[in-house]
Amino acid sequence: MITLNNIEKVYQTSTIETLALNNINIDIKKGEFVSIMGPSGCGKSTLLNIMGLLDEPTKGDILIDQKHVEQYTDKALASLRNQKIGFIFQSFHLINDLSVLDNVEIPLLYRNSSAQFRREAAREALEKVGLSNRMKHFPNQLSGGQKQRVAIARAIVGKPDIILADEPTGNLDSAMGNEILNILLQLNAEGCTIVMVTHDESMAKKTHRLIRLFDGTQVY
Amino acid sequence: MIQHLIKLIWNRKGSHLLLIIEIWASFMVLFGVMSLVTFNLDNYRESLGFEYEQVWAIDLSRNQDTVQTAEKLAQVLQRIKAYPEVEKVSQMSSNSPFSFSQMNSSISRKKTSTLSDIYYTDENFEDVFDIKMKSGRWYQSSDSVAKNKPVVINQKTADALFGTENPIGKTLDDNKVVVGVIDNFKAKGEFTKNEPAFFQLMWPRSEEGKIVLKLKSGTDANFEAKLVKDLGSMLVGWTVEVSYLTDQRQNQHNLALVPMIVFTIIAGFLLLNVAMGLFGILKVNIAKRREEIGVRRAMGATETDIQKQFVAEMWVIATFAILVGLLFAVQFPTLKVFDLASGVYWVAIVLAILIIYGLVTICAFYPSRQAAKIQPAIVLHES
Ligand SMILES: Nc1ncnc2c1ncn2[C@@H]1O[C@H](COP(=O)(O)OP(=O)(O)OP(=O)(O)O)[C@@H](O)[C@H]1O
Ligand SMILES: [Mg+2]
Repeated sequence: MITLNNIEKVYQTSTIETLALNNINIDIKKGEFVSIMGPSGCGKSTLLNIMGLLDEPTKGDILIDQKHVEQYTDKALASLRNQKIGFIFQSFHLINDLSVLDNVEIPLLYRNSSAQFRREAAREALEKVGLSNRMKHFPNQLSGGQKQRVAIARAIVGKPDIILADEPTGNLDSAMGNEILNILLQLNAEGCTIVMVTHDESMAKKTHRLIRLFDGTQVY
Repeated sequence: MIQHLIKLIWNRKGSHLLLIIEIWASFMVLFGVMSLVTFNLDNYRESLGFEYEQVWAIDLSRNQDTVQTAEKLAQVLQRIKAYPEVEKVSQMSSNSPFSFSQMNSSISRKKTSTLSDIYYTDENFEDVFDIKMKSGRWYQSSDSVAKNKPVVINQKTADALFGTENPIGKTLDDNKVVVGVIDNFKAKGEFTKNEPAFFQLMWPRSEEGKIVLKLKSGTDANFEAKLVKDLGSMLVGWTVEVSYLTDQRQNQHNLALVPMIVFTIIAGFLLLNVAMGLFGILKVNIAKRREEIGVRRAMGATETDIQKQFVAEMWVIATFAILVGLLFAVQFPTLKVFDLASGVYWVAIVLAILIIYGLVTICAFYPSRQAAKIQPAIVLHES
């Protein structure tokens, strides 16, 4: 589904050059639940952003469904992000001035879908994460766990093939974290491919496969 | 999408209030200036109704002289006519075209009446100003013996008093009879409205007032000096003052143009200020919303989508402001404030709306472009 070949990422600032990723080769198969672990600063987020076409590697190839995307235009990449990929972030990244329902609708705004359809799809997604009773709330009226569930609803509203989750439980206590993990496991059981960055070994154990990074390189 | 943006802006209305007020104020000022400009240009498009090139006006006042003034005046007229440089001469009341003197009175017929500018002239007035008759004729000196005094009116007066009827030969309430109708007569210059006008034979000839004369082309100030000198020796103790109608027209124009230019400049500065304000607010706004931009990009927004969003948001805000402004602005055409034609206000409203949208688009364009260039991976990493 997503294939990375010889990925290298160098961050160039005026003073220093950081090799964030070095010779990464990963193949994510359809239906997998993969977790990524590694110490802080080892390049996990960078890797996830490259997989999600949010960032470009300095070197290497990215294939989505066996197709090279290096030459894609901004528009084509945006469309892939919109159709195929759902993002979940550690700090939720909800838009505070929009209601829960409006937040969840966002991915559908960048498709040709009617207001009616968007509404329905957003309700459905919120039902799935158990938040149908909070649709009219605003993000700052929600707990951390609820916020992350809204973010999950937003990630799945467009029925993407793959969800990329960057420490989705990092800001939550363990009970809430487990709740989120259970939702992700459920989504995976329904056929969604998931790549999740985590610091929690016990969570990683519940996934199919673990990729360990150290200092920008795959450990195994 | 627009629905989404309206919601977003509505939920942030507190922070947009200042912006809305600024745009509203700009709209009102623009509406005022555009009304003035439209009014003036509208007037300008209407012809004057007379020719003024090579026409001079001589202002005569006899001061303390009371001896045979009428005879002296007749001699003066004869003398002026005799110059080879002079083509036509006429005597008229002091409110000669482009002068700052004005006379008006209510003219009535049956139950209708209109406030009209009144000009007392002799039979040559038509020739000096090359006025075209629309129908009928100009009055003659022989008309002075007629029982019903002959008058010439302009179309404006005819419309007010006679509607669709033909006014020629009809009498007014004071037994004056209309012998001719002319088209426009805009005595105070192109930028003024075409008002009702009314011309009546000056009889007997007044000893005050003005002499207007049309000169052969190429006549210059040397002749003016000669004329003043000759008249001075004929009219001892009188004041003789010559003005060129082209100069007087310029003065009248300045009267109309100076306020328009001043207001336009003031409005221009105001708009420049507002534009810079908008620009600044937008930049701050975008800096505060980097996270949102990152999220939208991650969710599938293209660079163009982001840019369009910020421009469209400004349009939504501008639309709020304009709607409020319209509540005020539409009162002007509906209540006919300042007695201007309602068309002037409608045109001004349309122009003001276009300028506002243009302005916010220009101001929003660059910051929005920058917003579109924000790297999602970086901003999502920041928080
Ligand atoms: N925009 C950037 N500019 C320069 N350096 C960056 C940038 N983003 C990341 N880096 C560097 O790249 C390396 C990898 O960062 P990354 O965010 O991928 O780490 P991470 O594994 O996600 O860490 P954490 O667990 O703390 O989230 C770090 O050394 C970081 O300082
Ligand atoms: Mg990270």
